[in-house]
Amino acid sequence: MASASSTAGPKALPKLPRLDLTAPHTFTTPVKRIHEGTDVSQFLTSLAYRDIGIFILQLNHALVPRQDENGKIRTFSLPNAPSSTPSIKALQELLETVETYIDEAPPDPGPRRFGNVSFRKWHELLDNRMEGLLGSGLLADTLKAGHGTAKQEVASYFKGAWGSSQRLDYGTGHELSFLAFLGCLWKLGYFNDGDSQEDGALEREIVLSVIEPYLSVVRKLILTYTLEPAGSHGVWGLDDHSFLPYIFGSAQLARPISSPSEPTPLEGSVRGAPRPSAVTAPQQVEDYRKSNMYFAAVGFINDVKKGPFWEHSPILFDISGIKDGWGKINKGMVKMFNAEVLSKFPVVQHFPFGSLFSWEQDPTAPTPTQSVHMANQPIAAAAASSSGTGTGAPWAQATRMPAATGPGVPYSRVPAGPSSGSLGARPQPRDNRSQGETSTEPQISMTKAPWAK
Amino acid sequence: MSDLDKAIAQLRSCRPIPESQVREICHKARELLIEEGNVVTVTAPVTICGDIHGQFHDLMELFRVGGDVPDTNYLFMGDFVDRGFYSLETFLLLLCLKVRYPDRMTLIRGNHESRQITQVYGFYDECNRKYGSANVWRYCCDVFDYLALGAIVLGASSTLSSTMEPIDEDVEIEVCDQSGGTLSRFSRQRHRQRPDSSSSANGVPADRTGPPGSGASGSSGGTVGNPTGAVLCVHGGLSPLIDTIDKIRLIDRKQEVPHEGAMCDLLWSDPDEIDGWGLSPRGAGFLFGADIVKVFNHTNDLSLIARAHQLVMEGFKEMFDASIVTVWSAPNYCYRCGNVAAVLELSEDDTGTGIFSRSNGDVGRSKPPMLENGGLGNGPARRYRVFQAAPQDSRGMPAKKPVADYFL
Repeated sequence: MASASSTAGPKALPKLPRLDLTAPHTFTTPVKRIHEGTDVSQFLTSLAYRDIGIFILQLNHALVPRQDENGKIRTFSLPNAPSSTPSIKALQELLETVETYIDEAPPDPGPRRFGNVSFRKWHELLDNRMEGLLGSGLLADTLKAGHGTAKQEVASYFKGAWGSSQRLDYGTGHELSFLAFLGCLWKLGYFNDGDSQEDGALEREIVLSVIEPYLSVVRKLILTYTLEPAGSHGVWGLDDHSFLPYIFGSAQLARPISSPSEPTPLEGSVRGAPRPSAVTAPQQVEDYRKSNMYFAAVGFINDVKKGPFWEHSPILFDISGIKDGWGKINKGMVKMFNAEVLSKFPVVQHFPFGSLFSWEQDPTAPTPTQSVHMANQPIAAAAASSSGTGTGAPWAQATRMPAATGPGVPYSRVPAGPSSGSLGARPQPRDNRSQGETSTEPQISMTKAPWAK
Repeated sequence: MSDLDKAIAQLRSCRPIPESQVREICHKARELLIEEGNVVTVTAPVTICGDIHGQFHDLMELFRVGGDVPDTNYLFMGDFVDRGFYSLETFLLLLCLKVRYPDRMTLIRGNHESRQITQVYGFYDECNRKYGSANVWRYCCDVFDYLALGAIVLGASSTLSSTMEPIDEDVEIEVCDQSGGTLSRFSRQRHRQRPDSSSSANGVPADRTGPPGSGASGSSGGTVGNPTGAVLCVHGGLSPLIDTIDKIRLIDRKQEVPHEGAMCDLLWSDPDEIDGWGLSPRGAGFLFGADIVKVFNHTNDLSLIARAHQLVMEGFKEMFDASIVTVWSAPNYCYRCGNVAAVLELSEDDTGTGIFSRSNGDVGRSKPPMLENGGLGNGPARRYRVFQAAPQDSRGMPAKKPVADYFL
């Protein structure tokens, strides 16, 4: 694997390296590697984990408003027209096609509990047509690498991005799979039509013109088939289904940076940004949901939920009280994503590993410190210490803080006391196994046993 | 006003009580619950409620619709906590009412009344957030271990009582809206034309649907099952390890809900349109079919099993010739499901000839003549009160709390 990009200075944020396709590369069909809670610590030191982190932060950084030498500020809103960049356009068309399958699989009118069984029909259509979807146009040119083995590898992530047909649910694990799909395409050099453009332009298009349209399709699926949240802490989770729009949407509103090598700001908002408290005002949410991903996500919550916002979404409500601007929110979202999505066994257990997102260990990875949240083991929450070594280097760099140490929940789980520290940088002990096995997607209408495989 | 009454008043206004008081009340509740058997005996009249899941304001609506404590005798079938915003206030209020009016409030255990489940589904998070530590969560979990596993309702009348107007004694099921207005009534099966009964194996018309207006999709058309009177209440359902109610009584219940076994099954299983037993998609408990329910009800002289555990859009759902009913009491579940909720009222048999004498779940106690006469319905008359989510206008917006340390 070669690193073709990343030519900027040492301080610049690393970019996901593109494969050198002139050298031989063996693609593999991705397989699941995370079978129990203790495997999460190995994931957190894998190349896949590193690459996911690099890619998210690369995208995140690109969305931050820019200020030129004359003080002129540019912000990056959701576009209202299709992209003219060919690689982006092709993915938009792919998403539109996938969306039309909904019309072919109308929701079943029969008796039901919650999730609609016609979602399985939709999935069948997707499965049957996947070959054609990924085997035509620009995508085909990229995925023909390895005599079709590249296509097979990348298809796994695309297939995993659309919820579970068996459980009739959708959650952040599926969202992560779509991100990995795009990451695969990036590594394969699919996005090669923006190299001449200004810094971050392609990344912005990937987020605003591909990920947001993807989220739109997902929202339509959720509404049509009343898909359940794949993982639910009830009202005490950030969002029933999504995480990425909160990261990227807050970046859109952060304090501007004036050079590509300037790190993502850790606080402050761009001039003209809505206040964080606008999230609790339905009319303002309506005003901003067309231009901003954070507000688009909140708007969807308002669409599907009835009741006071602070009750059904208390975590977002509390975040709306942050005084230090969208930069601060962005920093927190990145850390929270690392702890609550990437470090959580119930979420990442379904992530498969191949040659592009590899289970191989990252030789430069520090020992993970957050063995606590990955096991979903609040009783042992006293374990994590703020040792300062951090977890994945990219996260630490982005937030200039030790990543995701401390409690893995959006408030203090760690009781005050002398108990923290000693277990800091050690992998999850074996005797926590029964808790580590905490798995399976909790569902909205049906509680599943966390110990079930 | 005693401290307990003060706590009740505070909780009724949806304000948590101090940690020290929680500890005290949990201690008292444990002393009370430890004296109860695994299967509590409850005498009708009683109002049976399903899952609440921390929907405090909807619980207040339930009390408004069903009558206040202690005027109404309540039986809650578990899942007080998790998912909602007010699991803490909900559970503590119910627990205080239990301590204050032990004979008017029965609480049995749901699968969410467990350490492991509350850590995944929200109650643990909520306690931490509201108290800054897990102490209150621990006190509550210690109470969970003492909750009964089921209840037997005795003395339910086969006719509906009403203070408003006389009701035909033939009415078996009445569905009311939240202001008490009658939505629909259903008479007993024996008075029905059943032209196709010969073509149906169990003598039930095959094309029967639920009561129109109730929207119930199950077979709520009337009982043809065991005509004795006892009603077994349990959160989930049956277990292949339990063929008699006495076997439930033998369980050592004072523990965390195990991952398998009889106690687990009672809290996790679901009825389903299958024959016999099936694997549950939940990964705990089992699925069980109509045949299992019929044999169990017959063996134990039950006319009905009331259970909760599954969202039903219509609030209640009778299945298997009304031998089992699901009662769901959390309207617009999770703020988005759009379902209505229901409670099930069983009225008191004041004729002295009814069900009381014949059933307490013991095997072979009753051989009512009507059983031999062809199994015509004489089960308890059932009134379902259907209600919607509480209006929101009464809820004030709280101050924003300090955010997660990710955002510091």
